[in-house]
Amino acid sequence: MTAAIPRIERTERIAEASCLHCSLPVPAGRSSAFCCAGCEVVYGAIAANGLEQFYALREAGTPARTTDHAYAELDDPAFHQLHVSVGPDGQAHTSLYLEDLRCGACVWLVESAPRCVAGIAAVRVDLGRSRADVTWDPAVTSLAAIARYLDRVGHPPHPYRGLEREALRRREDRALLIKLGVAGAAAGNIMLLAIALYAGMFGGMSFADTGFFRWASMCVAVPALGFAATPFFRTALGALRARRLHLDLPLSIGILAGLIWGSANVIRGVGEIYFDSLAMLVFLLLVARWIVLRHQRRASTAAELLLSLTPSRAHRIDGGQEIDGRREEIDVPIEAIVPGDVVRVLAGEVVPVDGEVIAGRSAFDLALLTGESQPIDVAPGAHAHAGTLNLAAAIEIRATAVGETTRVGKLVASIEALSVKAPIERLVDRVAGRFVAVVSSAAVLTLLGWSMRSLATGAEHAMALLIVTCPCALALATPLAVTVALGRAARRGILIKGADALERLATPGTLFVDKTGTLTAGKLAVVTWRGDLDAAGLASAVEAGSSHPIARALRAYAEPAAVATGVREELGRGISAIVGGHEVLVGAPPWVRHRSRSQPAMEGWIAELAERGETPIVVACDGVMIAVAGLADPVRPDAADALEQLAQLGWTVELLSGDDVRVVQRVGAALGVPRPRCHGAMSPEDKVAAVVQARARGAVVMVGDGVNDAAAMAAASAGIAVSGAAEIAIEAADVYLRSPSIRDVADTAAGARATLATIRRNLKFSLAYNLIAGALAVSGAIHPLIAAIVMPLSSLTVLASSLRSKAFRS
Amino acid sequence: MTILYLILPLALVFAAAAVVAFAWTVRSGQLDDVDTPPRRILFEDETATPRVSRDRGPAAPRA
Repeated sequence: MTAAIPRIERTERIAEASCLHCSLPVPAGRSSAFCCAGCEVVYGAIAANGLEQFYALREAGTPARTTDHAYAELDDPAFHQLHVSVGPDGQAHTSLYLEDLRCGACVWLVESAPRCVAGIAAVRVDLGRSRADVTWDPAVTSLAAIARYLDRVGHPPHPYRGLEREALRRREDRALLIKLGVAGAAAGNIMLLAIALYAGMFGGMSFADTGFFRWASMCVAVPALGFAATPFFRTALGALRARRLHLDLPLSIGILAGLIWGSANVIRGVGEIYFDSLAMLVFLLLVARWIVLRHQRRASTAAELLLSLTPSRAHRIDGGQEIDGRREEIDVPIEAIVPGDVVRVLAGEVVPVDGEVIAGRSAFDLALLTGESQPIDVAPGAHAHAGTLNLAAAIEIRATAVGETTRVGKLVASIEALSVKAPIERLVDRVAGRFVAVVSSAAVLTLLGWSMRSLATGAEHAMALLIVTCPCALALATPLAVTVALGRAARRGILIKGADALERLATPGTLFVDKTGTLTAGKLAVVTWRGDLDAAGLASAVEAGSSHPIARALRAYAEPAAVATGVREELGRGISAIVGGHEVLVGAPPWVRHRSRSQPAMEGWIAELAERGETPIVVACDGVMIAVAGLADPVRPDAADALEQLAQLGWTVELLSGDDVRVVQRVGAALGVPRPRCHGAMSPEDKVAAVVQARARGAVVMVGDGVNDAAAMAAASAGIAVSGAAEIAIEAADVYLRSPSIRDVADTAAGARATLATIRRNLKFSLAYNLIAGALAVSGAIHPLIAAIVMPLSSLTVLASSLRSKAFRS
Repeated sequence: MTILYLILPLALVFAAAAVVAFAWTVRSGQLDDVDTPPRRILFEDETATPRVSRDRGPAAPRA
């Protein structure tokens, strides 16, 4: 296709000055119908393929995002072996994760791909999972070409990982859904039969007809419930074997007692049957279970999808051919790299392997691996670790370790060993334990008490007790409260992986926060300026061409005063240039001191800034130091409030960081965290030790984002990963926050607490119901009709109570 | 009321048939994704003649 932008007909939209593609305002001064070049490219790609219907179908403005990536690694044989299957008809098939799939219009646009790229047989989109299943003819087109097309229309694709796990889950989901259907059909039909029986009881019905209806009820109930209630029986058996109490145990006893006793009564021809209540109970329980499962899946798939976004390719340099003094590189998937290969890492990319730098000079950001927020400079001969970010310039690395043998890989292995969390004794299971004890002793007492009149009456009333106290509302109490909480939390960008995590977060204890990324902005900025203010403009001019983080911070602080000439950069030391006829030096104090005259005031300022944990950068003009800038990672504006809120909830907040102790104490001082609770220079191993030590005192929550935090998260009672977290941190965490703000951590803790309060209220409601029904059964006054009415009523009460919960309400 | 002896089993057979049909829809994956299909039915039928775009090949090598 051609890159020409089609003539725009809808001129009235230009008058509104909103972007034709994304509907965002067009910045003043742009003589275009688009807000940015990205939107213009995407609009061009869509219109050139005759797909303008997209703009009629879409529901909300979708920001365009398109990259210039060639996707050559998708055509690598190693990638095909892992992710692509070829059918008997020669058609290839794979699944891709697409960014920014939001509405029907996106679905339509992506599914129209076969009309626009020859060789694509079909594309099917799954909106909930942001997944596209692509089938194409490898003889006509390549996966890279398809990926480039999807990228051009604004949905950059990534390989979809975790397909096996999803297949397993899908099997489980389908099995549960079928059981739900069977239980629903059984409940409906038995209810109809029961209505006839109850009506007959009052209106008169022949004995033969009553018997027929009772037999019919049994024929439906026993096979249907026997099949549909297997999940409860299985957990109950498992709990028995492990000698632990689980709520499914009293449930199973109630269901089984009801089925057996009811069948016995049908065969005997006398006595009560409870099939209608039982069928309703099993159906309601399965509905609750299914809803909870759906919410949990949503949260965990959302977190897993983020994993697909981490880099999966490397630029390998294949020996020999030099073009313009640069050896040619090819993009390959990470799996294809072996030790000894040379890879090129461009500025802004993550180092894919452990190895030795053989060419180029740059600065590395180790924050992901060690938590150290200050970049370090690297030159040939330096060691590079997988997972570090290359900041300044392209470098070449000879790989010494790849995959699981890298330092990150070993850390990951240790996390897997740590993250097998001991199952916590859930509140509801504790209640269930006492419940079993009370109900079974009450049943024995009832049997003994009524046996004084006759053994049959005793058995009748004892069975009735077991059945009517079957803890239906009790079983719904937790799942309903948790589901409401998980759903509301997800809408606010807080993804909680399960009910256990909520309970672990509800009791306050120690909360460890990794400073980098959660409490601070995560970017160097000028926080103090001492000396000549005009020097800021000079420094900005000198740094205009550099991509070093310090240069970015200085540029953000002031507009360049003039154009700098003769720029000379000494990596790791400083930079010099001529600005407006003056020779200006910007750099670390020793380097500048060596080349210019210092002043006592300057030295005082340098010492003062270093003491506060800021990085001093000196500006000198014509051989005289004129200003000192203090660079640091500024504290997020909302962090202090959030910490205050956490303290009110009863949490003790401590800082745990890989950064220098002084830096951590600076952040702690800004947030009101006392010095003894600010731990700096912590290695990943130190963090685990601190967490384990704190666990002896009570609950521990670890908040972080780096690989260095992941092991500590796994060791803590609950881990929270924040936006931008490393792949392994997301995996080790119980909660994932879409925004990196500490405010959401406070909200999560408050929400977890409110959810537990709702669960307690639900448990009280359902126990009150069981007390009344049980008392009636013991006194022999229960009637199946009362059970049939009260059982669903108690469940509805619990439902209403859950919906009224204050948890995560915005 | 003897007709009940015929109608009741018949009704239950119908119910069983419905359950079997439901199980089939679940097993064949029709209920795996309930978000996308309700949007897909809103798409207009394809009337435009296919316009096949030519891929420009990989983007220019980066500096």
